[in-house]
Amino acid sequence: MSGLLAALREIVGADGLLARPEDLLVYEADGLTMHGALPSAVVLPRDKMEVARAVRACRAHGVPFVPRGAGTGLSGGAIALDSGVVIECSRMNRILRIDPENRVAVVEPGVVNAELSKAVARHGLFYAPDPSSQMACTLGGNVAENSGGPHTLKYGTTTQHVLALELVLPDGELVRVGAASGFPAGYDLVGAVVGGEGTLGIVTEITLRLSAMPERAETLLGIFPDVVSACRAVGAIIQSGLVPAALEIVDQRTIAAVEASVYAAGLPTDAGAVLLVELDGPAVALGRQVERVRTLALEAGAREVAVARDAAERARFWRARKGAFGAMGRLAPDLYVHDAVVPRNKLPEILERVCEIGDRHRLRLSNVFHAGDGNLHPNISFDRRDADELRRVIEAGEEILRVCVEAGGVISGEHGIGTEKRAYLPLVFSDADLGAMCRLRAAFDPDGVCNPGKIFPTTRFCMEANPKARGYGRVEFT
Amino acid sequence: MSAGEARRDEPVANGIARLAEGLGREQVFAHEPRSVEGARLEATLRPASGEALAEALRVLGEEALPALVRGGGSRLACANAPCRARVLLETGALAFPPEIDAEEGVARVAAGSRLASLREALAGTGLELPLDPPGRDATLGGALAAAAVGPRFDQPRDAVLGLGVALASGERIRCGGRVVKNVTGYDLAKLFVGSFGTLGVIEWAWLRLRPAPEATRVCVAPLGLDAEHDAAALAAARRPSVRAAALVDAKLLAEAAPGEAPRWLVVELAGDAGAVAADAEALAHDHGALHAEASVLERVREAQGEGALRVRVAALPTRLPAAALLLREAGGELLAYPARGLLWARFPLEGPSDERGVDRALRAATAAAADASGARRIEEAPLPARAGREVFGGASSALALERAVKRQFDPAGLLNPGRFVGGL
Repeated sequence: MSGLLAALREIVGADGLLARPEDLLVYEADGLTMHGALPSAVVLPRDKMEVARAVRACRAHGVPFVPRGAGTGLSGGAIALDSGVVIECSRMNRILRIDPENRVAVVEPGVVNAELSKAVARHGLFYAPDPSSQMACTLGGNVAENSGGPHTLKYGTTTQHVLALELVLPDGELVRVGAASGFPAGYDLVGAVVGGEGTLGIVTEITLRLSAMPERAETLLGIFPDVVSACRAVGAIIQSGLVPAALEIVDQRTIAAVEASVYAAGLPTDAGAVLLVELDGPAVALGRQVERVRTLALEAGAREVAVARDAAERARFWRARKGAFGAMGRLAPDLYVHDAVVPRNKLPEILERVCEIGDRHRLRLSNVFHAGDGNLHPNISFDRRDADELRRVIEAGEEILRVCVEAGGVISGEHGIGTEKRAYLPLVFSDADLGAMCRLRAAFDPDGVCNPGKIFPTTRFCMEANPKARGYGRVEFT
Repeated sequence: MSAGEARRDEPVANGIARLAEGLGREQVFAHEPRSVEGARLEATLRPASGEALAEALRVLGEEALPALVRGGGSRLACANAPCRARVLLETGALAFPPEIDAEEGVARVAAGSRLASLREALAGTGLELPLDPPGRDATLGGALAAAAVGPRFDQPRDAVLGLGVALASGERIRCGGRVVKNVTGYDLAKLFVGSFGTLGVIEWAWLRLRPAPEATRVCVAPLGLDAEHDAAALAAARRPSVRAAALVDAKLLAEAAPGEAPRWLVVELAGDAGAVAADAEALAHDHGALHAEASVLERVREAQGEGALRVRVAALPTRLPAAALLLREAGGELLAYPARGLLWARFPLEGPSDERGVDRALRAATAAAADASGARRIEEAPLPARAGREVFGGASSALALERAVKRQFDPAGLLNPGRFVGGL
């Protein structure tokens, strides 16, 4: 290892290498605090050549490596198993080019998501995918996880906005895939790499599609007696042919937490659920759409539907949604943000079962979710120092996933598999399905050195034949 | 005895006999050697189920018989030739009635389904199919494998939620799912869409449908790809309710052209009735747009079909006019989707073996693409015009990686050998 450290220091300089235990501790986990593993070093390259050289140095010393952005991921994807080296791209944070006429931006992977929209706003453009962590998460991380956000209902997830990528392959070679025009020749390798959870290489440059800001946006807040009627409203809105920019539900347990916190938005704590609807588009169309949504929500059982009168009120409506995770911090030291997707019309039934599972396991479980996409986020507040509670959290999580899969759903809508759900992938996919994924992996990373131990369920897969000393410091997970 | 029969290959005949035995004569038709896309084909396989498809692939693998895979055949003439296949594998019999979940706005559709009948099945559901590739006989499997785009909608990749695929190994796999948001494992569906059948054979797909628009309207404006109109045409094509915008030379529009202008922008507006009306009014006011029949858009794109050599240049929208200039100078008749950065030029040929005509047109297309920092490819050409030429316009910078992907999924080169970029 000391040989590798010297080689890495040579590449990135002393200020670009972290190897002291107290520095490494920060990198022990990502947003999923239940899973932890210490890297042997963290490298902070400044450009693509340093990334490539760092990868080659790791290869030469037989040490695996893990790309990392801001570490806000929620599935353990950015932790270094097998005492690997973390290659963090946060210093590669330049917006390289903005081409407003063609609605294209070229960025380095360390650019923070929200910074891009800010930089292009003066051209009447924005970058559509807006994960909840957008003030902190990086675009490179978004590419790895194929991140979503509340506005994916209308605008799509990251994969629909990435035109081209430059990446360092696991053998240290630099390669470009895709085309700024959006019509590359050959296989859709951009489509394969986006959502690859950093197992197919390290992205060093991203060409993104920008969207035109809608002429106008309207935000509505519906107060419902229960989650079921809020879900019914969502179904009715979608079936009416409207495509809202966002359809978000916050349940009663979450409202209570939010209202008791600094994020308090003045929501009635006796409401069973609130539904946040955002409509955007040409001003001429919006008036009628707002009325339509209001009518449908009232018909579904809303006791009140308010339309934001100005930007301040719009921000207040969103605060209940966006502050939800922060508000949970008051409830317990740890928060497990779950992520699964079901067909939208199954939402009422699934939510009932999810709450029942939480109650049965004596857990503090609440729901905030992208209802328009059928994307659930059951949040479990807990204390990981309480071994029994931790066990119940994991058991309940697995039960929730099984229920969602049985309903025709999948086990992750936007957080990825990482270490968190790798044992559960066979709930969704057969051995042959997973084998096909491994074929893709083998084309990019035949030796399994790039972010090993992620996504795939067991050591049988993808040549990850060395289960020893995985560094699973906190939780035994299979 | 015909010459073809005289040269009949013993191992090929044996392999076909095994296929016929396993799958039955209603799914395997042996015939005299027949030349299709430069391949010498001795049988046609029409598997009618996923199981039969997988069995066919397994036997083809064991007998080392490569297959030319095709759906409706609309896009047969836009891939590399010659193909090294020995049998034709048609996916048209992979059919079941579409499972339409109107409440969810999704549908599971068999690869052999014709898009035209799928559109009929969707009538009255309030939903529409977000695919409109060229070709009246286009099937879902073919449209996805060729990633063929039409004037409307995003790319086919964006419509696909999940796929059932039979791999060259004979394994049947599923990727993605039926829900609209999914990051459960790698997004393998992306790999198969647009792979021209070289990585696996698509069996079925879960598609995300779109709400049918409340109102649609077509209008035409006298705008073209030329210095005077470039910015105006792009701005018009980007109005919020524009679903399709095609720039076309008047001679391609023929009798449908409403006036004397040499070039026209054909626009289809779709969506909220108020927004459509407002955009129509703005286009009339700003660009002199006239109301037109709904069928004009279809006529525009069919006008480019058939017979000649057609090339496509893809580039950033503001770079298209430069490419258009070069292609027009070389005698090309143009069609463009300005907001999407796509441009087609049609060059008449003096017969299928007009080598000079082909070279001239391709030189112009290559120069036009280079000038616009884009990429060119042959969209359609007679077989001799494609033989020995790279249809997809030069090797990608990631060719080694693409070869590695091909080796992983089809190591023996069973599926459409030689048809895709760089001979993949």
